[in-house]
Amino acid sequence: MSHTFKGGVHPNYMKAPEIPISVITPPPQVIIPMTQHIGAPCKPLVQVGDYVKMGQKIGENPAPVSAPVHASVSGKVVAVEPRPHPLGDMIMSVVIENDYQDTPCEDLAPLTEEQLKDSEAILERIREAGVVGMGGAMFPTAFKIRGGIGKVDKLIINGAECEPYLNGDHLTMLNYPEQLLKGIELVRIASCVDKAYYGIEKNKQDAIDLLNSLHPEKYGIEIVPEEVKYPQGAEKMQVNAVTGREVKPGGIPSGVGCNVVSTRTCYAIYQACYEGKPVIERIVTVAGSALKAPVNGLTRVGTPFGYLAEQCGGFVKPPRKIVLGGPMMGICATSFDAPNIKGTAGVLFFTEEEDKHVEHPTCIRCGKCITVCPMNLEPVFMYMYYSKGDFENMAKYHITDCFECGSCAFNCPARMPLTHAFKTAKLMFQAKQMKEKAKAEAEAAAAAAKEAKQ
Amino acid sequence: MSNEKKERIVLDVAYQPQVRTNTDTRRIMLDVMIALLPAVAVAVWQFGIYPLLVIAVSMASAVFFEWGYRKLLKKHSTIGDLSACVTGILLALVLPPDAPWWLPIIGTFFAIVVVKQLYGGIGKNFLNPALAGRAFLLASYAAIMSGAYLVPKALRSTIDAATMATPLSFLYDTGAMPEYFSFVDLLIGKVPGCIGEISALALIIGGVYLVLRKVISWRIPVSFVGTVALLCLIFGYQGYGRVEWMLYNVLSGGLMLGAIFMATDYATSPVTLNGQLLFGAGCGALTVLIRYFGGFPEGVSYAILIMNLCSWAIDKAFHRHQFGVSKEDIKAQKEAKKAAKKAAKEAAK
Repeated sequence: MSHTFKGGVHPNYMKAPEIPISVITPPPQVIIPMTQHIGAPCKPLVQVGDYVKMGQKIGENPAPVSAPVHASVSGKVVAVEPRPHPLGDMIMSVVIENDYQDTPCEDLAPLTEEQLKDSEAILERIREAGVVGMGGAMFPTAFKIRGGIGKVDKLIINGAECEPYLNGDHLTMLNYPEQLLKGIELVRIASCVDKAYYGIEKNKQDAIDLLNSLHPEKYGIEIVPEEVKYPQGAEKMQVNAVTGREVKPGGIPSGVGCNVVSTRTCYAIYQACYEGKPVIERIVTVAGSALKAPVNGLTRVGTPFGYLAEQCGGFVKPPRKIVLGGPMMGICATSFDAPNIKGTAGVLFFTEEEDKHVEHPTCIRCGKCITVCPMNLEPVFMYMYYSKGDFENMAKYHITDCFECGSCAFNCPARMPLTHAFKTAKLMFQAKQMKEKAKAEAEAAAAAAKEAKQ
Repeated sequence: MSNEKKERIVLDVAYQPQVRTNTDTRRIMLDVMIALLPAVAVAVWQFGIYPLLVIAVSMASAVFFEWGYRKLLKKHSTIGDLSACVTGILLALVLPPDAPWWLPIIGTFFAIVVVKQLYGGIGKNFLNPALAGRAFLLASYAAIMSGAYLVPKALRSTIDAATMATPLSFLYDTGAMPEYFSFVDLLIGKVPGCIGEISALALIIGGVYLVLRKVISWRIPVSFVGTVALLCLIFGYQGYGRVEWMLYNVLSGGLMLGAIFMATDYATSPVTLNGQLLFGAGCGALTVLIRYFGGFPEGVSYAILIMNLCSWAIDKAFHRHQFGVSKEDIKAQKEAKKAAKKAAKEAAK
C-alpha cells in the first residue's frame, strides 16, 4: 500500500520532465527584492554606483526570522528603490546592471570536513546563504530547522511536487541525485536526527529508482513512494502520509515531531555547504498556453517575467494571467516587470484556455468539495456562512484550518470561488482578532489610568 | 513581443486555484440524462413510442417554465445548466405510460415554478422537484396516476385486458404476489408500472454509470436499497419465503428509480458522508413502513420527500472530525469542560 492522505484531487498534470534543463541567459538588469522570505525585510547593504560580484550579499536583517539576499549577477548597482514585487505591491529592491562577467564572490568558502558534520556550522551557513523554503512558502530554513531541534524525531523531505506543470524537483532528482542526497544528509545532521524520510510521488518512478540505486541508506535516508494526488506536497499531508500523524489545528509540523523540507531547499543547502554558493538561481518551469512549449529553465533570481517569456520563445497568444508557482496554489503577478524570486518554482502564462470562469456561479450542493478536502472541512457550509458574514458558524466549521490548497474550488462543478472566499474570511478573522486585542488593551489602559487617578 | 505590445495587455488577477476540473454542472446533468437512457429504452420496448412523447413534452415544458420564470423576474437564465431537462425527464418517468400528453405540463409547472424557482432556483429547493410534481399530480389526478396501468407488450399475450395492476398495487389489493411474472421479468422490465420504473436492471446500469462518473456516491442508493432489503428480510410476509419477499420488494415499484435518481438529488440530500448513509437508511425505513402499513401500495416517493425535509438537520448533526484532533483530544476537552463547570459550581457555593 502506498502512502497517502484522505481526500485530494487529480488535476491534469501537464508535466514535462522530459524537457532538459536549459540555461536562461541572465537579463541586462536584474531586480533583487529585499523581501524574498517570510519575516523581517532585508536592508540594502549597497548603494547606487557600487560594483557587486555574483553571490555577494546585498541585503540583510539581523532578526532571527529573516534571510539575506545575494546578487545573482556581477555588475554595477544602478538603483536602490521600490520596484514591483511578484507578490504585488512595490518593495525595496536592488537593481544591478549586468556586466555579463559573472565574477564570483569568494565570501562563502565551502565548508570543511568537520564543519559538514556540525549542526551549528551547517545552520549558520544555511542562514548566510539565504536559504528559504523553496517549495514556495519561503520560510527561512535555518530558523525552521533550529526550532525543530529536540522536538523533531521524524525529518521529512518533500519530493511530491504535486502541483501541475512544475518539473524543478523532478529534474533536480534526475540530474543531481548524489548532490541531492548529500544535501538531505546535511539537513538531517543539522536537525540532529538519525533518519530522513524522502516522500516522492510515484509519477516520478524513474527518480525513485535512480535515488534508490545510489544507496540512500548510506546517508540515513529512506525513500517513501507516495500515491499521486494533489495536495500530497502540502506540509500537513506529507506528515500525514509518511507518519500517519495529524498536525494540530493552527499548529506546525514540529508540534507532532516532524519537520518538512522541500527537495529544492535540500539541493540549495548542498550548494551552500559544499560549493559555497548562495541562493541565486533555481529551475523555473515556464509554461502555459500563451507559450509555444514549456521550458525548464535554470533562471537567476531577479529575472523579470517579461524578459523570461522572451527567452522562452515569446508569446504565441497574449497571456491573461501570470501565475507564480503551480496553478493550484499559485497567485497571480500583476506586472511583467516583476522579477522571479527564490520561491518561484514556476511562471505560467495562462490565456482564456485555462480559465474556466462562469458568469453566475451557483452552488448545486453536490458535496464534491467535502469529499476532496484534505483537512476534513465542509467547504459548502463554510462558503454559505461566509456569504452571510456569520463569523460564529464559520469558526464552528473550522474555517481557519483551511490552508487554501484549492482542491474544493478545483473540483467544484459550479465554479464557486471557494478558496477565494476562505482566504478572505481568514483575513477577516485576523483583522477581527487584532481589533479585539486592541480594544482589550485600550480598555485595560483606560482602567489603569482610572486607577492611577483615584 | 515588443515592449509596446506588452503594455497593452491587461493582466487578470485571481485567487487560486487557477485551473479547474472539466466537469461542470452542465456535464453532470448530461450524465444523469445519459444514465436514464437504458430505462427510457426499456419503456419504448414495453410501451411503444408514446412514452417518448410524454418525456419530450415534459422536458420541453420544464425548460420553458424555467426560462419563462427567470425571464419574467429579470434574472439571468439558467436553462444552460440542463437541470430543468433532468427535472422534466424524471417527472415523465414517474408518470403512467398512458398518461395524457398534457399531464406533465401541469406537473412541471408545479415542480419548476413552485418547488424550485420560488425558493431560488437550482441548489436552493428543499424538495425534489420531480417527486413533488408527482405528488402534486397524484393529489390532483388520482384516477390517472394511481388507477390500473397499461399492460406491457411482453404480457399482452397472457393478460386479456388493456390495463392491469402493478406488482405492488396487486399485492396491496389482494395481499398476494401475482403469478404471471417472475423475478427476471421484474429485473428486465416485463411488468406494468410507470414509464421509467419497470426495469430494475436498466436503472442499476444507469446507477453504476453515475457512480463510475463520480456524479453520485454509492452511499445513498446502497443504504436505501440495503435498508429495504434488510427490513423485508427481518419482518417477512405471511405465506412467502423471506428471500422471495425481500427480492419482490427490492425489484418492484419505484425503489430503484427513487434510490438511484431521486434520493441522490444534490440539493435535497445531505452532503456529509455519514449523513448520506443515514438519509438513505431513513428513506428505506419509511418506504418499508408505507408499503407495510400505509394507505398507498407504494411509498418510495413519499419516503424521499419526507427525508428531503430532514436533510438539512442531518447535515448539521454530522460534523466531520477536525483534522489534527484525535478522539483522545476530544475526550480531554470534554473532561476539561466538565472540570471547569464543576469548579465554577463549587466556587458559586
